[in-house]
Amino acid sequence: MKNLKTIAVLLMAVLYVEGIGAFCGFYVAKADAKLFNNRSEVILVRDGTKTVVTMSNDFQGDVKDFAMVVPVPVVLHEHDIRVVNRTIFDKLNDYSAPRLVEYYDEHPCAPLIEEYELRLESTSADFAPSMMMEDMSFKKEYNVVIEAEYQVGEYDILILSAAESDGLRRWLNDNDYKIPENADDVLNPYIKSNMKFFVVKVNLEKVKYASEYLSPIQITYSSDKFMLPIRLGMANASGPQDLVVYALTREGRVECTNYRTVQLPTNRNIPMYVKPKFGDFYKSLFERSWKYEGENAVFLEYAWDVSPRNSVKCDPCVGPPPIQNDLVEAGVNWLNQNGSAHFTRLHVRYERENFPQDLQFQVTPNKERYQCRYIITHPAKGDMSCDEGQRYLKELEIRRKKEIDELSVLTGWNTKNASGYINEFSNRRYNVEKEEEERNTILPVGTSPSQNNGPTKGPFPWTLPMAFVALAFALGILDRISRRNRVA
Amino acid sequence: MRFSSSIVSNLSRPRVFKDPRLFQITALGSFLIFGILQLGWHHELTRLGALIVLTLGFQLIAIHLFKLPKDAWKSGLISALGLCLLFHTSELWIIVFASAVAIFSKYLIRWKGKHLFNPANIGIVLPMMLTNEAWVSPGQWGSEAMLAFFFLSAASMVLMKVGRIDTSLTFLITLFILEYMRSVLYLEWGIDVVFHKMMNGSILLFAFFMITDPRTTPNTQKGRILWAALIALASFLLTSVFYLHTAPIWALFLSAPVSALINHLYGGRDFTWKTLSLSSNKSKQ
Repeated sequence: MKNLKTIAVLLMAVLYVEGIGAFCGFYVAKADAKLFNNRSEVILVRDGTKTVVTMSNDFQGDVKDFAMVVPVPVVLHEHDIRVVNRTIFDKLNDYSAPRLVEYYDEHPCAPLIEEYELRLESTSADFAPSMMMEDMSFKKEYNVVIEAEYQVGEYDILILSAAESDGLRRWLNDNDYKIPENADDVLNPYIKSNMKFFVVKVNLEKVKYASEYLSPIQITYSSDKFMLPIRLGMANASGPQDLVVYALTREGRVECTNYRTVQLPTNRNIPMYVKPKFGDFYKSLFERSWKYEGENAVFLEYAWDVSPRNSVKCDPCVGPPPIQNDLVEAGVNWLNQNGSAHFTRLHVRYERENFPQDLQFQVTPNKERYQCRYIITHPAKGDMSCDEGQRYLKELEIRRKKEIDELSVLTGWNTKNASGYINEFSNRRYNVEKEEEERNTILPVGTSPSQNNGPTKGPFPWTLPMAFVALAFALGILDRISRRNRVA
Repeated sequence: MRFSSSIVSNLSRPRVFKDPRLFQITALGSFLIFGILQLGWHHELTRLGALIVLTLGFQLIAIHLFKLPKDAWKSGLISALGLCLLFHTSELWIIVFASAVAIFSKYLIRWKGKHLFNPANIGIVLPMMLTNEAWVSPGQWGSEAMLAFFFLSAASMVLMKVGRIDTSLTFLITLFILEYMRSVLYLEWGIDVVFHKMMNGSILLFAFFMITDPRTTPNTQKGRILWAALIALASFLLTSVFYLHTAPIWALFLSAPVSALINHLYGGRDFTWKTLSLSSNKSKQ
């Protein structure tokens, strides 16, 4: 008596959208405005050594206050820089967001009543800004070289190289970038690594309204380095920042090589009442998983082949799959050769203490599909007086108790008052009294651990020494037995 | 990834195991259990099971074909666990290929009566080199201090009995010095960047459980120290110049012939899997 109709889908990536977001470079503010870098989004397309990076600029505020500094491995040419339509981020986000699926139970006594619901809510990331860059004058004593100067879209772009961090920091500060003092610690390693600095401000003549949205900037370069420079963005950050990476490759999944890439719990049955607050649910789940994994892992949220030749692109889809034009806009240029486009969505919450290195990635041939998917199941409606109906109601209570347990394990939410949900249909059951005692042993709910692979582990790796001792013991006994047999 | 036995036979032996390979199986097995229970490898039980079954299966065939002692299965299991801990693929035929390469390379690629390549190492490298379907995930262990401590503890229990702790320490110390010079002295990153790199579980696993295989390391201590330093140097160069994230594995593969050369220069007695109770083990495995 189970789930029949899938469909009805929804929800979203209402990811924590508090405050200001930024790419992993700097957003710095003039006039000592409070700076926050809470969330940013990046599209990474990697094909061989060619990398296309698209940085979201979804911030709110006065565009004259905006400026950005991003380390890049090479001097970019003008044709390597362009602005793209910001809807590409919304499409990729909506499409790959963690999803809630609804199923409907078949009526146990009567034929199926189908009921579909399709709802989609998506959110846009709130970003906001800061900073301003005005009259840039180049002074020799800074030891800063302007390698190139471009106007692209609404942006004025400079590519800088520097001989030492102090000069670069002074140059940036003198040109109205408020670079924190401690940025020297980070600027120097980039300078020594022969990286250049991609410096962006808004050309005020190109924007009509001070508060209008800015276009994402896309840069293309060829380099063996496949990384994102998060250390720079930490220099002016207080608290953890979230970064969502949408990676597209020809071969398969992208994974991090210097931090663990962890799959979030998926395909879990959760209570129906989570539906209106699915965003909060996922936020709690992510936070809990992040803590359990030691606050230093990278999380996989989605992996799928989204190329036009692959007809099944999601199960179910929470947003329309990206079409070829979207992929081309993101920088995928190999689809005409009938290639695949493997889409990986990674979510990182990082802060200085636990992320001493920039994020480094590799493309793997791993083509396995993955999505963060959570399931709610609607109970059957109607008369339940038949024997099957009574059995169904009993099973429903057990199932709902498991859902509550799962919710508690996944999110850490207090579920002690969930007996109303579990027993919602108890009054339609006969002989309930006989099972009253049994049910009392079920409640209160919310403290029992998940029976499967929920994030129930703690940060301390006790499993390792325990497994070592247990295995040593077992092998020791086997070894003795085999030696005794041999001697005999 | 084979481990070692008893050249240093006068070191105190645990009463539990007469054969140090069982210690190695215990250590690697516990890492595998840890990975399954705590690192999310329960998604990959099919791959892990197939690697163990196939590698052991090929080892049994090799025992039959090459008339090896029956307990050579222990070496096969060690290779299987080594593959489980480092090697990834989604294709069954690649698993078959990697397992076969790991086992049969021991008996088919030999020089002066000794196999040239570390079995798990060549089992990982050849599929990566020849196909587009195999990979290693250097980040899969994370960089936890406690994990590093357990790796070190488990490794020293085994390595002290085998006399290969010199190889591990030389590799790690050389790599640390090179990384320190580049990251801290030259690039001016903080020291925590170097620690984060060095505590990477894959590096430690490699240092303690792969390059220490007594059958493929040089026979003399001087030779081993030179060899381990060369692997560290090659690994450092591959990482910092070519941005190859799996550099140590390639460095070991490339260094295998060097081991034979060092043995030629420095001499020394070949290692055999000789145990106190089973002296018949020393033949070909």
